[in-house]
Amino acid sequence: MYRFVLRRLFSGVLLLFVITTVAYVLLYAGGGDIARRIVGPTATDAQVALKSSQLGLDRPLLVQYWEWLTKAVTGDLGRSWFNGQLVSTGVSSRLSVTVSLVLGAVIIAALISVVIGVWAAVRRGWVDRLVQTVGVMGFAIPGFLIALGLVSLFALNLKWFKATGYVPMTTSFGGWAATVTLPIIALSIGCIAAVVQQIRGSLIDALRQDYVRTLRARGLSFNRVVYKHVLRNAGGPALAVLAVQFIGLLGGAVIIEQIFALPGLGQITVAATGQGDIPVVMGVVVATAAIVVIVNLIIDLAQGWLNPKVRLS
Amino acid sequence: MMFRPTRMAAVVAALALSLTGCAAGGETSTNESSQTLTLGTLMAPKSFAAADSDFANVSPFYQAVYDTLIRMEPDGTLVPMLATEWKYNDDKTVLTLKLRDDVKFTDGTVFNAEAAKQNLERFKAGTSADAQFLAALKNATAVDATTLELTLSAPDPAFLGYLSKDASFMQSPASFGNADIATNPVGSGPYVLDTAATVTGTSYAYKTNPDYWNKDLVHYENLVLNVYPEQTSLLSAVKSGTLNGSLIDISMVQEAEAAGYKNNAFEGNWVGLMLFDRAGTTNPALKDVRVRQALNYAFDTKALLEAVNQGRGTPTTQVFPPSSDAYDASLDSRYAYDPSKAKSLLAEAGYANGFTLQMPSTPLVNASIFTLITQQLKDIGVTVETVDAGNNFIADLLAAKYAASYMILEQQSDWQLINMKISPNAAWNPYKSADPKVDDLIRKINVGSEDEQKTAAKELNKYIVEQAWFAPWYRPQNSFVTDAKTNVKLQTGNVYPYLWSFTPAS
Repeated sequence: MYRFVLRRLFSGVLLLFVITTVAYVLLYAGGGDIARRIVGPTATDAQVALKSSQLGLDRPLLVQYWEWLTKAVTGDLGRSWFNGQLVSTGVSSRLSVTVSLVLGAVIIAALISVVIGVWAAVRRGWVDRLVQTVGVMGFAIPGFLIALGLVSLFALNLKWFKATGYVPMTTSFGGWAATVTLPIIALSIGCIAAVVQQIRGSLIDALRQDYVRTLRARGLSFNRVVYKHVLRNAGGPALAVLAVQFIGLLGGAVIIEQIFALPGLGQITVAATGQGDIPVVMGVVVATAAIVVIVNLIIDLAQGWLNPKVRLS
Repeated sequence: MMFRPTRMAAVVAALALSLTGCAAGGETSTNESSQTLTLGTLMAPKSFAAADSDFANVSPFYQAVYDTLIRMEPDGTLVPMLATEWKYNDDKTVLTLKLRDDVKFTDGTVFNAEAAKQNLERFKAGTSADAQFLAALKNATAVDATTLELTLSAPDPAFLGYLSKDASFMQSPASFGNADIATNPVGSGPYVLDTAATVTGTSYAYKTNPDYWNKDLVHYENLVLNVYPEQTSLLSAVKSGTLNGSLIDISMVQEAEAAGYKNNAFEGNWVGLMLFDRAGTTNPALKDVRVRQALNYAFDTKALLEAVNQGRGTPTTQVFPPSSDAYDASLDSRYAYDPSKAKSLLAEAGYANGFTLQMPSTPLVNASIFTLITQQLKDIGVTVETVDAGNNFIADLLAAKYAASYMILEQQSDWQLINMKISPNAAWNPYKSADPKVDDLIRKINVGSEDEQKTAAKELNKYIVEQAWFAPWYRPQNSFVTDAKTNVKLQTGNVYPYLWSFTPAS
């Protein structure tokens, strides 16, 4: 098991290196006249040259990359070109917002999906058809539309939640919940729709297996068979879908964060890519690549725990 | 047994709801809101370093932490701030300022003439987009601790005004080398940035500076400036009552008013066509004044105002604002919509069959604008070829790549406006159009007596309109909305009201 984890970690680091190198080259090669963009269109050429040398942009790309890499390894990702903030500070403070949103959405989706998925697979009939229909709708309606609807109903009309802004959990848990609940619901709906289908499908398949009949024949209650055995077998694929959803939600969070004015990774990404704030974009690339690697690692471990066969392979 | 997960989910949901319910009820205490001013802005400041600072939309971020040498009242009058008095010599090339001796920066450093000198020099040599404000500053000398002498290379009628803006933000000289100065400003202003409660780029929290020298300018204990790059979230923030005030898009006014906000309307810009190529370098047709006049006659500005800005604004054909000495009300209707007149002018100039005009478009501007331009010019026989300039829109215009273009520009004080759009060196005069009469009038405005300046400004405006250097359509209304608890005085010459102009309504 240790070797399995180590191997996964090593390939994760290698992946990070490859992604960041490619990103760096692409970003800097296509960056255009960044210094000009920072100082504004009415600035003089001397101002542009001054900014360019302040940022070290007048040096060869390889030199710049080497400096970035050697510093990045120590955790120093440089400073934003547009607001002077340390990239590590900017990204990490925003990472917590985005991760709490996405994690919240995935946890809620997992809980609700299991309940609905099992319900649909076991009851079948009209329940199943209803779940399928609603599921397709949940999948088809874009997250931002759901978000706008939620804001209008629960924040602006009923005033149960905050329409915009963010309160850190450390400042006030209630305040935090008031600001993240609607974004989490908006994010989780598409995710629930996807995972329910997966759980329902896997369960229906599993329920047809011989071992279910055997277990039932030995006198085990139906609930015990479903929750103790069938769900565990069907859980693997659902978990994989959940992992894919988690990574997908990082992208979905970009729009949701804009709508709710949340200081998450999405907001910083949109602002930084729009401006050409490459140190920040690189910081976001590093952070998201690291998340993807870590999530995959966790899912692999969870799959191994659910299904010992995976560990052998 | 079967429903255990369901029950658990229900418990979690109920718990979450009860917690949020408590929070939503408990957080809005009226006491707190009367002491905190929360404002919405469209953009965040680039860097808090005074030498890299900007103004206009981001002015409140800086005014909270930095004092200026001179202060501008909402009506444009200049009054003492860190400088208590100032005087020009006879030829207006040496400005002597007397400074306060009781001001300290928040790091304990004393403010004096040497600090002021260093700040001005750094701003002039820095990378602020407004660094050219101090272009005329040749030399700054700290005569003694409270006397600052500024020598100008040539008289600059706008210079004192510049000293009330970002050009004279005073940062503690001891902090010039601070590694974190871009995010942690050290000034002598009314507030101190609370870096722990600030999310750079999104939300900025300020606390009162306990040692501030001018308590009269401080009306709130705390200040929060939230950034909303998205219209959707800004509108949500307004409708949910999160903000005491914000600059909003005209399309949001009705909803803001429905949510209980007061609409403080003002006209700070003009919208229309810039006819850059007055010498006909890239488009020979534009060399003829009759062609440029025809382009002015071609637009049904009232209809455009109605279609684009819900009728909120005033049609005009001049670039100077009503607050200016150069303003002439009759020029607002100099070129009333008259397509047949436009056609006959074109025919007189030898373009009876029209001509082709290349103009840039950008995704930053609603595409329908370009359709309207094409349509209106087609009616007088001018074929518009629209080129997508993307994000290079402004850069391309300033690089003289297009003979004419749609543009929205601000209307500042006369001298600033002249140096921005009319003088041969102005950034918005990319083809460097020069005209002996224009040059002469600019010189008179620069060095003349106050009366001569006013007369010359009026004459310049009239001449520019007659020569059709531009084809303005209207001055659109902007809106700064405030809630019932907040009063504000709008600022002449700045899109965002100044910080001390906000006061509690009670």
